[in-house]
Amino acid sequence: MPEFLKGNYKVNAKIEDKADTTDSTDEFEKKALSRLGGSICFVSKKSLMWQGDGEKDKAKTDGAGTKNS
Amino acid sequence: MELGRRIAESLEAATFERVAGVGLANAEANRPRIARSVLELAETPLGAGDAAIVVGAGPSLYRRRSLDRLREAGFAGTIVAADGALGACLRAGVVPHVVVSVDPHPERIVRWFGDPTLTAPRGDDYFRRQEMDPTHHGDELATNHALVELVNAYGPKIKVAAATSAAPAVVERCEQAGMDLYWWNPMYDDYDAPGSLSRRLWEMNGLPCLNGGGNVGTAAWVLTHAVLAKARIGLIGIDLGYAPGTPYEKTQYYPELVEILGDRHCEAFIHTTHPETGETWFSDPAYHWFREVFLEMARGAECRTVNCTEGGLLFGPGITTATLDSFLAEAAGGATHHG
Repeated sequence: MPEFLKGNYKVNAKIEDKADTTDSTDEFEKKALSRLGGSICFVSKKSLMWQGDGEKDKAKTDGAGTKNS
Repeated sequence: MELGRRIAESLEAATFERVAGVGLANAEANRPRIARSVLELAETPLGAGDAAIVVGAGPSLYRRRSLDRLREAGFAGTIVAADGALGACLRAGVVPHVVVSVDPHPERIVRWFGDPTLTAPRGDDYFRRQEMDPTHHGDELATNHALVELVNAYGPKIKVAAATSAAPAVVERCEQAGMDLYWWNPMYDDYDAPGSLSRRLWEMNGLPCLNGGGNVGTAAWVLTHAVLAKARIGLIGIDLGYAPGTPYEKTQYYPELVEILGDRHCEAFIHTTHPETGETWFSDPAYHWFREVFLEMARGAECRTVNCTEGGLLFGPGITTATLDSFLAEAAGGATHHG
């Protein structure tokens, strides 16, 4: 924390920056949410199946995703 | 917006956090065992005709006696089961052509195949609490032993569509039971994005990536449509919710919801009345997300998806609701008896 005032003693307590608090809250929420998630991913706006490059025309584009996803 | 719906909106990213790391590790561990691509299933005889039944492990499977009715009808088409429904299938005398497994959990999932190493009830109470297979609520060891016997007996007749994320314990159990495994990668992320994990996996093993839809039941539907190219797909046991009267403590994520939300955990549950059955079921954020995802995927799918679950919460554009009997009667026109 910037020292705007020069004092003659140091406090033992750790002053948490608001940014640190936000980061740790986000981290907690992330961890908590991950315990509620599914057992396999879903990727929105992508095809049902992808068979790699060179076979883009083989990608099944129905379901989620646009014609060229 | 309800708390449950708000949480559901975050679950696409949360699921990635939850499973990507262990899924990739399992893909590496399973690599020596990969002998067949799931695409080979499309060339394999799996029932007759263009109709298929996808079997989920929802409570309606028992409430509606879906499997007994399926067996009695002599359905000749393809039967694809989520791993959690395998025990129910075999106990009802229904041998699925394909069983799908995706979950990377190192200890739990093998129980759906009968765990030969289980000698005492585990500290993890998941099976005693879950709503998918009530036979595990009583004598766990007896249930498990019976399932081991059934899977050993019928395993050689059942093909496993194994995600590379599948738990190595499951892979070993399936091989031990004489099941042939056909492999695929879960789609983890946008394969066109820089640093894509999906692309990395495909480069590693050459297997197709399937968009899993968050849970094994939806993944089974994706496989049935995108790989097996079935034009008419009937769903049974795909409730994506909890039956009326189910205590919150008996839901899958209850401990996690209490830990995260404390006294507000009740607000995470979403109660919905089915417009055709008139029943009011409820979902937790995960099931609500699964439902939204399924509807998104089914909306543009070329196949006809008929929900014959006769319960649950999966209804909306892209899904036809019908009785199992009507789907089976329609499928019976032009197919021979399934043994």
